[in-house]
Amino acid sequence: MPELPELNPVIHGKLRLALLSLLSGVEKAEFTWLRAKTGSTDGNLGAQLLKLEEAGYVAVEKKFVQRKPQTLYRMTDQGREALTGYVRALKQLLGAAIEA
Amino acid sequence: MAVSIEEQELKSRLNLIENMISEGRRSTENWGWMFIFWGVAYYIAIAWATWGHSSLAWPVTMIVASLLAAVLASRKAQKSPATTMGRAIGAVWIGVGISLFLVMMSLSISGRYEPHVFIAIIGAMLGAANATSSIILKWKMQFGCAVVWWAAAIVGCFGTENQGSIAFLGALFVCQILFGIYGMILKSNKRSARQRPEGAAHA
Repeated sequence: MPELPELNPVIHGKLRLALLSLLSGVEKAEFTWLRAKTGSTDGNLGAQLLKLEEAGYVAVEKKFVQRKPQTLYRMTDQGREALTGYVRALKQLLGAAIEA
Repeated sequence: MAVSIEEQELKSRLNLIENMISEGRRSTENWGWMFIFWGVAYYIAIAWATWGHSSLAWPVTMIVASLLAAVLASRKAQKSPATTMGRAIGAVWIGVGISLFLVMMSLSISGRYEPHVFIAIIGAMLGAANATSSIILKWKMQFGCAVVWWAAAIVGCFGTENQGSIAFLGALFVCQILFGIYGMILKSNKRSARQRPEGAAHA
């Protein structure tokens, strides 16, 4: 029997998974947009984004637009690879769970 | 039982990924107001040129509308994330808009403006933009708009001036005003559907 893969713990958190999935469909996204799409609080969202940033899965860009601060997030190549790997592992696990 | 719960959990993660990816891509569907805006701008220019008998009607209306559209669009774009699909569609419309503006202004200034040519060029170019956009978005309804514009362009070539004008005004109403309202209703329905509690994702 082939060995089952382990799910990446950084991505497995529900909010972090949602954030990476959202970012995979866009070029970059603002903090407020991510907050609206996930229905998360500022504190929780900031903490989870920081974890993703520390893992190298997202990159942050801070700038001012019409004198208002704007924080933009984009998925890195490493993040894309990690999400792809996570989905692959998830499908493999699901297949094993259905067969069991 | 434990296996079943784990299986459900894994499936819910997979669903979450799918939902969030499509959520990000939905940001390109929010442009119904732009169709209405340009439809109204065209009607203002036509009314001004017809009843006001002013040669300034088209250039002034189009320049003011372009500036206003650019300001409104950039404000709206700041709230939504940039997507490759959104940029592709934006590129098509900006390209067509600039082409139409340059050709129409040149025809008008050179004194070679002719109603049949006007209707044929606008119909063909808006048909092309709608068709390209509909293929990118996989949106059959918008392809219907392309067909209506192409039909108006053909009537412009073969019909009388009156027939061409009626076809143009009809296409304008169907493809800009009605289609714009339809787009906005569609967006509003999708927004209400998304506001259900299961859309939230917490850690």
